[in-house]
Amino acid sequence: MSLLGWCQWLEHTPLATAISESVWLFPLIEGTHIMALPLSVGLMLMFDLRLLGLAFRGGSAATMMADVVRWSKVGFGVMFVTGGLLFMTQAGKAYGNTFFRAKLLFLLLLGLNALVYHALFVPKMTQWDAAGRTPLGARVCGALSLVVWIGVIICGRTMAYQF
Amino acid sequence: MTSLLLWISNARWMVYIRDSSFGMPALQSVHLVGLTMLLATVLVLNLRLAGFRMMEWPLSSLERQLRPWALGAITMVIFSGIIMFLGNPAKYLASYPFLFKMTALTLAILLQFRVVRGLSTTDAGSRPRRTDILVAGLSLTLWFAVGWAGRAIAFV
Repeated sequence: MSLLGWCQWLEHTPLATAISESVWLFPLIEGTHIMALPLSVGLMLMFDLRLLGLAFRGGSAATMMADVVRWSKVGFGVMFVTGGLLFMTQAGKAYGNTFFRAKLLFLLLLGLNALVYHALFVPKMTQWDAAGRTPLGARVCGALSLVVWIGVIICGRTMAYQF
Repeated sequence: MTSLLLWISNARWMVYIRDSSFGMPALQSVHLVGLTMLLATVLVLNLRLAGFRMMEWPLSSLERQLRPWALGAITMVIFSGIIMFLGNPAKYLASYPFLFKMTALTLAILLQFRVVRGLSTTDAGSRPRRTDILVAGLSLTLWFAVGWAGRAIAFV
């Protein structure tokens, strides 16, 4: 089965049709997807501001990791579940949509960015935290995250206008 | 007032924004990026006010540092929101979720930028902690109610 074929099959599964045909299920899932934005992306943006030195000065990045980044994972969990369900209901149309494809590409890029950040800068965080200076590479990760997450939001909102 | 709204909603620039293929998605995108930023700053600040998270930063310092981001975000949200409203005023004025949203928004702004800011510049030891928790909880409830009401405009 081709990828497009799989998307079309997905759209016609009992779960997908149940969501599409329900009066309140689709708005509820879509609303949850949007209202989880501040808890997921929003909290990541807060951490990016810390890395860039644009806010949260006078406190450690380690505390931000524990108090902000950790909780954003709950938000991202909600995002993936609700996003997956929304995708199911429109999978065939989403498949060929440029903005949907760009969104996936951006998410992949953000995943790689997070991996790089965790591999290169988290192990030595206590040292650069104590020195009070964020490494240039970590700042680049923060800037990339800030810009690309905004791109994800724009793509996500725009794709809905093309269905 | 009605004729003024009608005139604006039929103005050439408004028709262009409303009916072009990119006008509404662009406005909605600005609205959502602003919402994400605004509610995230509100969330962090209220968690700190309640004394649950971010204890490494003094409340007053956090409030001062997040203020430009919160004000920038609320400008994005209100600016894009006003243009969307002006594009179709009759629809919004007849919508109960919209009227609820505006009421909750007014209360949320007053609470966040008056009461929370006031609390952040006075000594936390001078008042019972449950006041802080109550204000933080009320503020977050109001802000997220604004968001949900906004989503409901499209569906109700």
